[in-house]
Amino acid sequence: MGAVTDDEVIRKRLLIDGDGAGDDRRINVLLKSFTKWCNSPGTPEEGFTQYQRMMGTLAQCEFSMGKTLMVYDMNLREMENYEKIYSNIEQNITSAHEKIAECKKEIQRAKRIRKNRQEYDALAKVIQQHPDRHETLKQLEALDKELQQLSHIKENVDAKLELRKKQFHVLLSTIQELQQTLENDEKSDNDDNNQESPAENGE
Amino acid sequence: SLTLSLLHMSVFSQSFSPCGRFLAAGNNYGEIALFSLSAALSPDATAQSQKPVLTFTAHEGPVFSLLSTDCHLLSAGNGEISAWSWTELIKKNVKPLWTKRPNYNLEIPEINSMVMNPRDNSLIVGGGDNNVHVLDLERGVFKLVLQGHSDYVHCVSVREREAEILSGGEDGAVRIWDSRTGQSVHCIEVYKYESCARPQYGKWISCLTTDSDWMLCGGGPSMSLWHLRSLSPTSVFPLTGCQRQAAFHQDMILAVGEGPFLSHCLLGGEVKAQIPCTPQSLNTLQLNTNSTEHRVLTAGGSSDHIDVFTNLSYRAFSLRF
Repeated sequence: MGAVTDDEVIRKRLLIDGDGAGDDRRINVLLKSFTKWCNSPGTPEEGFTQYQRMMGTLAQCEFSMGKTLMVYDMNLREMENYEKIYSNIEQNITSAHEKIAECKKEIQRAKRIRKNRQEYDALAKVIQQHPDRHETLKQLEALDKELQQLSHIKENVDAKLELRKKQFHVLLSTIQELQQTLENDEKSDNDDNNQESPAENGE
Repeated sequence: SLTLSLLHMSVFSQSFSPCGRFLAAGNNYGEIALFSLSAALSPDATAQSQKPVLTFTAHEGPVFSLLSTDCHLLSAGNGEISAWSWTELIKKNVKPLWTKRPNYNLEIPEINSMVMNPRDNSLIVGGGDNNVHVLDLERGVFKLVLQGHSDYVHCVSVREREAEILSGGEDGAVRIWDSRTGQSVHCIEVYKYESCARPQYGKWISCLTTDSDWMLCGGGPSMSLWHLRSLSPTSVFPLTGCQRQAAFHQDMILAVGEGPFLSHCLLGGEVKAQIPCTPQSLNTLQLNTNSTEHRVLTAGGSSDHIDVFTNLSYRAFSLRF
């Protein structure tokens, strides 16, 4: 147990003694000179000088302690500062991550839009090769009109044809009737003549 | 002999695990390798972290297509489809859950492409028998056969909103099928459009992907962007070589194919950038959307290296079989 604490003590003292042999030695010397001064039989002037010297050493020790305290305060504030910077950087990292994710989504959206645009363009290229709809409609209209006109003319011609046919039919049938009537008349005339002759012969 | 096989290796397919931490890649030897992305992307990754954590032979023929569902990895090779549990694979247990084969008429063809239809939990499969087969994953039976192509089906895709299936094939046709009735709704013969046609390469369609309103297709003809409602090509991309896989990514189009680069294109038809890659020509391109920490793009092709892009603008490193 004693050995452990000795090690601890040695380690602590080696770590703390930043100044090297300075502060520690000064305190030891002060203690020794204090005990010597208390027990010394020398003259009051000597005693006073020794007292002055001891006060000087004490002041040095206090000065050194003050320095160390200030350094300690400074370190504490530095630590705080670093903590702040650290959390700041962490926040920046998370926001940068979020921005990256957002940008990635943007890229996907932009790629989709680009793909759609390219598809439209490709289709538009094909559509351009086909003739304009208005023109085709106009052509269709013109053709329709022509068709109507032609069918009108055809109707007229048909009607005329019918009329002529009917007229010729009437003419022909009248001629036939006349022919028939003439034949009948001729026949009845002949019959009359034949009837008369036997009648004449008979008488 | 190992170096020789590595020299001749081609990676044909890739799929990310549902947790997004692993990548499965299939090669021409029928092997599937599992890579740990968390190990390869971690700050203290070594050369060993870029090698697979597990390699196993899944099929007798090349694994042309890989697909992940919520908990399974589906692989296609040698005309059959096998299902593996991701959790079991991560624990290095390589026993398949099931293996199924569509009803083929004559010989057993290759399966070139598979895609999930999440609407009715079915698997669309296109292959060398000129047909598209639809497997109902819940009941485990093949419920539809879409017939119409006159040659191999190279690629399939799904238009979720309209419940339509798209397929592109060697006969140069992109067919749009109604997924409920199985009838072919449209047939687009891309090589007949002057703006896209490249007769010096042929008429076959090797890459097909859709964004519901738009469709990208390419192969022999130049890769072109189509507006599906009007069935008209709106942009043609001036990429040399035949494109084998393309994807819509945000406002860009990513495409890989012949040539050691990954092309970035804009919907208007401009090629914005071509990022150099390790393999001399690329077959597969995959984006990891299952994980936010491991958002990478991986590309594989005629090499045992699979390039990993953490930033789309440059290749970060390569995984090796």
